[in-house]
Amino acid sequence: MPISESHVGRTYEPTPPYEVSTAKITEFARAIGDDNPAYFGESPVAPPTFLAIVAARAWDRMFDDEELGMALKRVVHGEQAFTHQRPLRPGDVIQATLTIDKVRVRGAMEFVTVTVTIATTAGEPVCHTTSTLVHSREAA
Amino acid sequence: MTTTAQALPEVGAVLSELRFPATRATAVRYAGASNDFNPIHYSDRTAAAMGLPGVLAHGMWTMGSALRIVTDWVGDPAKVRSYSLRFTKPVVIPDTDEGTEVVVKGAVTAVNDGVVTVTLEATCGTEKVLGNAVVEVVW
Repeated sequence: MPISESHVGRTYEPTPPYEVSTAKITEFARAIGDDNPAYFGESPVAPPTFLAIVAARAWDRMFDDEELGMALKRVVHGEQAFTHQRPLRPGDVIQATLTIDKVRVRGAMEFVTVTVTIATTAGEPVCHTTSTLVHSREAA
Repeated sequence: MTTTAQALPEVGAVLSELRFPATRATAVRYAGASNDFNPIHYSDRTAAAMGLPGVLAHGMWTMGSALRIVTDWVGDPAKVRSYSLRFTKPVVIPDTDEGTEVVVKGAVTAVNDGVVTVTLEATCGTEKVLGNAVVEVVW
């Protein structure tokens, strides 16, 4: 049974706690070619798109859901939005929770819109992301 | 003109254009930094099997890299409240030393209650790769 509209509203367990580190912020900033001093030094902030790291762990929950028949390698990213409550800093311990918001099937293409909310383990919301993933269903 | 904005900008203000290369090396580096190891971002074989025109840059890499046009301008990236866009066309990365180039343009499209809205457009060659790209900055 591939993913369908009947899966709208499905929510997965939060991802395991992820601790933001100075080293990962540095590595991520370098990978996007950004030498903004705010990302380096003693008290860096994470780049606004850093949370993709944690959001992707939440996507894995959906790819691991065998009922949906999805696989990362069959996915192309269609749309992405981030809304931040505050910037992340080293030492923040966060978890991501995914909910399937919308499913549209056009032939072998599945357009899946998901919301990932990211909060600290203490329950403080830090970011809300929405993604539309375009999944091409494997030929039967 | 790479100035850091101080006073509240006006609608229509144009940001300094940003250009950056996309190479196989930048894709591999982003895969490691982001833990996104989708093989379409490094394997020609997988990309072809998925019907793609070639190895693609991670959309999130293009999104993250393009944001520098705004954060270089405002200075403090913590001022970015929201960032949303559509990946209109993929950035196809040839397996050459120079790769390909992404060009980002931006302009202020709204200023309301201390929130500055910047609209971006990113192209690669003749293709528009980011569309409806909007960044909200708390001034």
